[in-house]
Amino acid sequence: MINRHPETDLLVEYVSGSLSSAPCIAVTTHLQYCTQCSDSVESLGEIGGELLTTAEAVPVSDELFDRIIEDLDSPVDQNLAKEPSRQSSNPISTQLPEFVQRLLPEGDLDWRSLFPSLKVAPISVGEDKYELALHRIDAGGKAPEHDHLGREITVVLTGSFSDEDGVYQPGDFLVRQPGDTHRPFAARNQECICLSVLEAPIKLTGIKRILNPFLSFTPS
Amino acid sequence: MKHKPKLGQIRAMETENWNECIERVGKSQDKAAFRSLFTHFSPYLKAFLIKSGGVTPENAEELVQETMIKVWRKATSYSASQASASTWIYTIARNTRIDWLRKQNRQNPDLLNAEDLYDDRENPTPLSSLSQIRTKKLISEQLSELPLEQAEVLRLMYFQGQSGQQVADALALPLGTVKSRIRLAMNKMKLALAPMGDLGALGGGV
Repeated sequence: MINRHPETDLLVEYVSGSLSSAPCIAVTTHLQYCTQCSDSVESLGEIGGELLTTAEAVPVSDELFDRIIEDLDSPVDQNLAKEPSRQSSNPISTQLPEFVQRLLPEGDLDWRSLFPSLKVAPISVGEDKYELALHRIDAGGKAPEHDHLGREITVVLTGSFSDEDGVYQPGDFLVRQPGDTHRPFAARNQECICLSVLEAPIKLTGIKRILNPFLSFTPS
Repeated sequence: MKHKPKLGQIRAMETENWNECIERVGKSQDKAAFRSLFTHFSPYLKAFLIKSGGVTPENAEELVQETMIKVWRKATSYSASQASASTWIYTIARNTRIDWLRKQNRQNPDLLNAEDLYDDRENPTPLSSLSQIRTKKLISEQLSELPLEQAEVLRLMYFQGQSGQQVADALALPLGTVKSRIRLAMNKMKLALAPMGDLGALGGGV
């Protein structure tokens, strides 16, 4: 059962289009699991439609319709015709929602070991504010205690993990703020795969030095 | 003390009419229906797009054009049981704006477009058209009854594509106040929202 959901204002930001790519993907991923939030998003979309048609209209130029009709008769441009993105052949992908599968690169994911039981594979989405990645904790594996220098969003995809605050199941949507400290560990019987959105390097509190193992680059 | 008791009903009837127009465009490339849609929606689309940061009046018409072309091309996949016309068109306009802004910011637009980010195909539980109209009616009435300060926050977010933080900056309010106005608005509108956000960790106003 899903216990952690995006906050209302984050859903409004999602529907109204102010989230950048990686956080947007995190919310869409949560929606793959959560009918409740999907319903909310649908209602929030209705608000968008309603606000659109109750605003004060601005007249358009007379020839705009003709320009559009002209365009309709021209061949479909590539952007619209292109098949929606990529399909991964990676064995891991069959366990993931189709939406996430389509984000994965063709061929192998670039898994990097951060710690003996924790691996990360960055996913390129063409933005520089956040990094999107998959995290994978081996069954029973533990990550070192760390806090966050930037906001971190985690969506559990398969398996489960726990920290001091609770147990998180597939679909759970977690937001960590700078200063939050936690020490996640996976359930003993199954590896855990999460989608993560990271804003800035993470500090390992136990080791007292800054590493940026969770990131493959430093956001500007 | 309501002075517009029938607003919701009127909107619901209009909605059905526009839904039908899109379906006609989808089924038979009906240009008359498309012209009706254009005449009704494009001034609203222009008003919407012109408010986006960095969009000039000329750009706004280009974006209206782009949006209406997508309406034409995507109409075959439109289903009134999944979204009302205005919501569907709003979503297309929002995506057009996102892609345009990303192009301006030189983010890599080839990698993923807004449709990929939102997983357009996602629509697990189509509403029956009755509940659809009920939703529409409730939302139009309730929006018109929101306290001004709550409506203002929603308008800034939807129209200008601003984040909660940007709205807070624009109105010189603490972020927590903006968040609580959003929450109050949603409670007032009785939207089926998830019971609790993540840990309330973002609830700065509490």
